[in-house]
Amino acid sequence: MDDYRRRETIKFIVWTVLSLALVFYICYEYYSGEMISWYYYETSTTGYAVDVNTFKDATKDKPMKLEIVQAAEIKGLQAVPVKKGDRLPKNANGVISKKDVEEGKRVALEGNTLKVMVPSQIKEAKGFKYRDTYKHKGVQTNPWSGVWNVAVILALGFCLGTMAEGFTGMLGMKVKKIKHYEGGH
Amino acid sequence: MFDFAIAGIQSPVFLLVLTGLTVGIVGGFIGVGGGYMVTPALIVFGFPGYMASGIDVTHIAGKSVVATIRHRQLGNIDWTLGLAMVGGTMMGVEWGVRLLNMTKKAGVSGIALLSATVVIMLSLFIYTQIETRKAHKQIEEREKSGAHLGREHKATRLPEYFQKIPLFPIVRCHVARIVISMWVIVVVGICTGLLAGFFGVGGGFIRVPALVYIIGATTHIAVGTDLLEIVVSGGYGALRQSMSGNVDMMAVLFMISGAMIGAQFGALATSFVRGPAIRYILSYSLILATVGAFMRLGYLMTGGQYEILSFAAVVFTLGEMIFLCLFIMSLVIFAARHKAGKPVPNWIPSLVVKD
Repeated sequence: MDDYRRRETIKFIVWTVLSLALVFYICYEYYSGEMISWYYYETSTTGYAVDVNTFKDATKDKPMKLEIVQAAEIKGLQAVPVKKGDRLPKNANGVISKKDVEEGKRVALEGNTLKVMVPSQIKEAKGFKYRDTYKHKGVQTNPWSGVWNVAVILALGFCLGTMAEGFTGMLGMKVKKIKHYEGGH
Repeated sequence: MFDFAIAGIQSPVFLLVLTGLTVGIVGGFIGVGGGYMVTPALIVFGFPGYMASGIDVTHIAGKSVVATIRHRQLGNIDWTLGLAMVGGTMMGVEWGVRLLNMTKKAGVSGIALLSATVVIMLSLFIYTQIETRKAHKQIEEREKSGAHLGREHKATRLPEYFQKIPLFPIVRCHVARIVISMWVIVVVGICTGLLAGFFGVGGGFIRVPALVYIIGATTHIAVGTDLLEIVVSGGYGALRQSMSGNVDMMAVLFMISGAMIGAQFGALATSFVRGPAIRYILSYSLILATVGAFMRLGYLMTGGQYEILSFAAVVFTLGEMIFLCLFIMSLVIFAARHKAGKPVPNWIPSLVVKD
């Protein structure tokens, strides 16, 4: 193995290890719930914090009822009253706004329960339709998660790019610079 | 199917990786982020519209780093030109977003925005097609006369006018071999950034032609330098989207794993072809995107009455990605055959390089 290939092999191994470490770190943050707690951080509207997944099958004919409770954690079909700027309770992934409740078209207040009739609506973005739920509605993300995301994705791009460079070098494919100005121009 | 906890949906991983791969090939080859192709694809896979845009722009930022590293190795990046343009681009993007919000407040609908997109892309397609066909013919004629042909050939004198503008400070771009007023670069950055911010896209399909036809860079250098710009503008877009909570990092991770391989192939494929081949693909991607946008426009203008138009736009956009990938792959295969002295179609030798 010549010097060039040996150097490129080391480069490939080092950057593969770094790339894998970064991927594992992202997966760990995702599955441990750390990343999710940064996303579902605090409320940007006054209303009821909910776990959207629990009532996704509700319909007008078969509405689902959420019990209104004061708690630090949402367990199943529960809704926690929140004010704008409050820290979201654990397991909350969306906020049903006070305005929506007052309108009563999708959600209605019945004593100490919230009756959910329309958990999702069809909306459009750039001429394409998609299913819009209460998920991530009325939620303020921790701004530092944005910085973390960009830093991680740029670092991952750098690791993967350099790893690929090492990979082709390891295989002996020496990529040469393009001669842009040779010949007629 | 994978459960995306932040986006709150289940989506097939294979399709995300495949989308990353195809957009990586196209983006690495023509120097675009591919936002106009990825966002509709993600919506089809079940992601909400706001998440689709956020995931798209974040994956573009990461993918552009991968492609930029390979283009740097190929010598396709002019750092002076790229860095001189960054400030203008950022300013333009910010103004574009503000302008968009102003027009929204003024009641200008999505129909008007989509119409403007169609007009601009169509104009760019027409100009690029006319110029590239002319350049292609000139290469064929010169080849017949036995002249030694270089990597690049353009049939326009437009850059000369802009390079003659005597406004201080004058910048010397060594890799691109351009001497030009800094103001021209900044204004081009602002204009392309403005359009990108206004239309909510990365802006590569506007910036690459601007770098070729206004600044005067070769197509290869325009592609590499534009990808450098996309790292910055995409990073900024990703930051804004992430701060609004519109990004699911696992989806980005799956897409970037495909894009990493695609971007390598796309970037390396540029070394097999001449400038006009890249411009052809760029112009075809422009017209295909225009047709897709036109279908969506038709759908919106008819008040969403004809579902078939929306469906056709989705199918068309996904088909477009695959078509462009196959086109690029066939160019590389033909280039390799031509190099080996094997028979190739008549239009190939003037578009690919032999050595």
